[in-house]
Amino acid sequence: MATLQVRDVVKRYRTVTAVDHVSFSAEAGRILGILGPNGAGKTSTIRMITYITTPDEGEVLFEGQPVGPWSQRRMGYLPEERGLYKKLKVGEQLLLLAELKGLARNDARARIRHWLDRFDAADWFDKKTEELSKGMQQKVQFIATILPEPDLIILDEPFSGLDPINAELLKDIILELKASGCTLLFASHRMEQVEQLCDDICLMAEGKVVVDGPLREVKQRFGKDTVLLEFAGSPAFLDPLVAAERVRIINKTQQRAEVRLLQGTPPRKVLEAALAGVEDVYRFEVMTPPLAEIFKSLVGKRPEEMARDEAPRPAEATA
Amino acid sequence: MRNIWIILKSEFIRRVRSVWFIVITLLAPVLIIGIAVLPGLLTVMLADSDTKTVVVDDATEVLLPRLQAEAGERFVFTPAAAVEGELRAAVRSGQFDGLLELPAELRDGEGQPTYYATESGGLAFGSQINRIVRNAVQTQRLEDQNVGAEVQRIFQERVSVELLTLTDEGTAADGTFVYTLVGYIMGFFIYVAVLIYGSMVMMGVIEEKTSRVVEVMVSSVKPFDLLMGKVLGIGAMGLVQLATWGVLILGGAAVAGSVAAFFIDPSDFDLGADASQEALLEAASITIPSIAPSLIVWFVLFFLGGYLLYASLYAAVGAAVEQQQDAQSFSLPLTMLVIIPILFIVPVADSPNSTLAVGLSLVPFFSPILMVVRAAITDVAFWQLALSYGLLMVTFVGAVWVSARIYRVGILMYGKKPSLRDLVRWFQQA
Repeated sequence: MATLQVRDVVKRYRTVTAVDHVSFSAEAGRILGILGPNGAGKTSTIRMITYITTPDEGEVLFEGQPVGPWSQRRMGYLPEERGLYKKLKVGEQLLLLAELKGLARNDARARIRHWLDRFDAADWFDKKTEELSKGMQQKVQFIATILPEPDLIILDEPFSGLDPINAELLKDIILELKASGCTLLFASHRMEQVEQLCDDICLMAEGKVVVDGPLREVKQRFGKDTVLLEFAGSPAFLDPLVAAERVRIINKTQQRAEVRLLQGTPPRKVLEAALAGVEDVYRFEVMTPPLAEIFKSLVGKRPEEMARDEAPRPAEATA
Repeated sequence: MRNIWIILKSEFIRRVRSVWFIVITLLAPVLIIGIAVLPGLLTVMLADSDTKTVVVDDATEVLLPRLQAEAGERFVFTPAAAVEGELRAAVRSGQFDGLLELPAELRDGEGQPTYYATESGGLAFGSQINRIVRNAVQTQRLEDQNVGAEVQRIFQERVSVELLTLTDEGTAADGTFVYTLVGYIMGFFIYVAVLIYGSMVMMGVIEEKTSRVVEVMVSSVKPFDLLMGKVLGIGAMGLVQLATWGVLILGGAAVAGSVAAFFIDPSDFDLGADASQEALLEAASITIPSIAPSLIVWFVLFFLGGYLLYASLYAAVGAAVEQQQDAQSFSLPLTMLVIIPILFIVPVADSPNSTLAVGLSLVPFFSPILMVVRAAITDVAFWQLALSYGLLMVTFVGAVWVSARIYRVGILMYGKKPSLRDLVRWFQQA
C-alpha cells in the first residue's frame, strides 16, 4: 500500500480553487516529483499533506489513516519559503525543531552532531544563525528536516540557492534516504532537476493533476520524437526546417540544439540538414522529450509561460 | 501541552539571555529612581555646600543679632559697620554674596527689606532668607509689644493634623500619600508592561512571519500552541523582570525615607533647612506604611491577566501584517484601549469608591490598571476583585479564541496588507 494517498482533494480560497480534485499517491523507497509552474497548487497540496491546512473536500491518508498532529511528527517538511530564528544558535535551532517533532534532547543532540559533520559544519553548533550565509542557513534547514528521521520527507525546491557542490551533496543524501526506505516528495517548477531524481511524477497545472505515474512510463507515452544535436558551426541549418514547421526548437545554442519533430518528420532529416550546414557533428541522439515539452503538449503552454507574474508566494498566489 | 512548553522555554531563554534584557532589568530601577530623585538630590547637595556671606545694613539696629541667631550654617551675617567704603561696591567686588537692607520702619510693621546680589540665589535660597527675616521681624515686634512669653510661644507653635486610618487592629498611620503613589506606580507599571511586552509579542510574530520560519513551525505544531508558547514565554520573561525589580525595590525601601524626604521642601512646613529626615517626614505626615501582601498578589494577578489579554490580541495583529509600519496602524486601536484607563487614573485615584471608579475597574480591558490602582488606595471588596478578575479571564479566553483564528490564517499570508474585511474573512475561514 502506498505510504501517502491524496484522494480527490479540493481546497478553495475565496474565488480561486487552488487545488481541484487532486489525487495521487507516493510509495516508500521512491521519489515522487510534484511538478508545475508557480500557482499550480503544489504548495497548497503540500500544506494539506503536512496538516497545516485541511482540505475542503477529499482526504489525505498517511499509512491508511487520515493525517493529523500524529502524522506531523513523522513527516519532515522543507518549505520553499525558508527561514530560521535569527537569534538562536544553530544547535538550539535544530534542537527546538527536533524536540517539536517529539525527539528527546540527548538523541537530538547526537544526531545534530552527526549531520553537522556530514555537511562539513561541525563547528556551527554554537554559531548564531544570523551569522550564517544564506546557503549555510539552507543546509541547517535541510538538517532540521531530516533530523527526526521522518518516514515522509517533503522538499519544496530544495536546490534553490545552493552552490553546485552542496547541491551534489544534497542529492547524494536524498538518494541515501530513498535507499533507506523513506518516502520522498519533491516539489519543483524546474522540470530538468526533477527528471534526474524522481521515480514518479505528478504534473500539476492550475490546481489539477495533468498527468501522473512513473517517470519512465509517462515519457514513453510520448515516444521518441526529440532530437539532440551537438555540432561545430552555425545552428542556422535549422531555420528552413522550422519555417516548414517540420521541427520546433526546444532550445538552441551555438553548439547544441534540441528540437521536437513535428508532422512525423524522421530524425534523419535533421541529421541530413545538419551535415549539410555545419562543419562537424559530435553528437546525434533521438530521445524522449524533456518533461517541460511533455507539459506543453498536455497543457498547451510551456510551464514558464504559465508562471504567474509575482514572485513565488504560495499563500498569495492561492488566496 | 508539550509543544507549548517547548516553545515557551525557547522564547524565554532566547530573550532572557539577551544583553537588552539584562541591561534593562538591572538598570531600569536605577534609572527611574535616578530621574525621580536626582533633581532633589542635586538641589540639596549643591545648596548645602556653600555658605552665603551677607552684609546687613540694619537701620533698625536690633534685628541683626536675631538674624545671626537664626542663621544656621548657611548664612553668615556681617554688620555694615565692619565694612569700609560703599556697601554695594563691596558686593559687586565679590567681597560679599549679598547686601540685606533693613529699613527702620520695619519695626513698626512698615517698609520692606531688600536683598541685593550679583546673581540670583535660586528658589530655595529665596525662601530661606525670607523665613529668617520674617521670623526675626516677628519675634522683635512681639517683644516690642511687651507680649508675654506664653503668647510668643503660641505664635511660634506649628499645629499639624495627624491623619490616621481606622483598621481592625485599631488605628494606623494614614498612608494616603504613599498608597496613592503606590497605586500610580503599579498602574503605570502595568500600562508600560502591557504595551512593551505586548509589542514584543507582536514583533516576535512579525519576525517569524517575515523570516518564514513559521512555515516550518506550523508543520510541527498547532498554530494555537505556537501562539500560546510565545505569549507565555514572553510573559515568563516579564515575570522574571518584575521579580527582579521587586527584590531591588525591597532593597531600596530601606532608603525610601530619604527618597521621600528629597521631595519635601522644609520651608513648606516651617522647618529649618537642616531639619532631620524624620522631622520632615513627620511634618509631611508621611510614614512608610507596609504594603499588604494581598495587594502584591492582586497586582501580579492583574498584571498577568492584562498582559495575557493584550498580548494575545497583539499576536493577532502581528500575524495580520508583514511590515512593522503596518503594525503601527493595526495596533493603534489596541494601544488606545490600553491608554483609556490611564486617562481615568487620576479621577479613580481621587475617589476610588465612586460609581465611575467601581464601574471602570470591572471592565476587562481597563481593570488590570484601574482595579490595581483602587486596590492600592482603598480597601476593595473581595467580590469586586473576584468579579473583575473573572470578567478579565473570560475576556482573555474569548480574545485568544478570536486571535488564534486570525493568527492561524494570517501567519501564512504574505504580501499586501489585509483590510478589516479580510481579517473577518480569515476569522470565518479558520
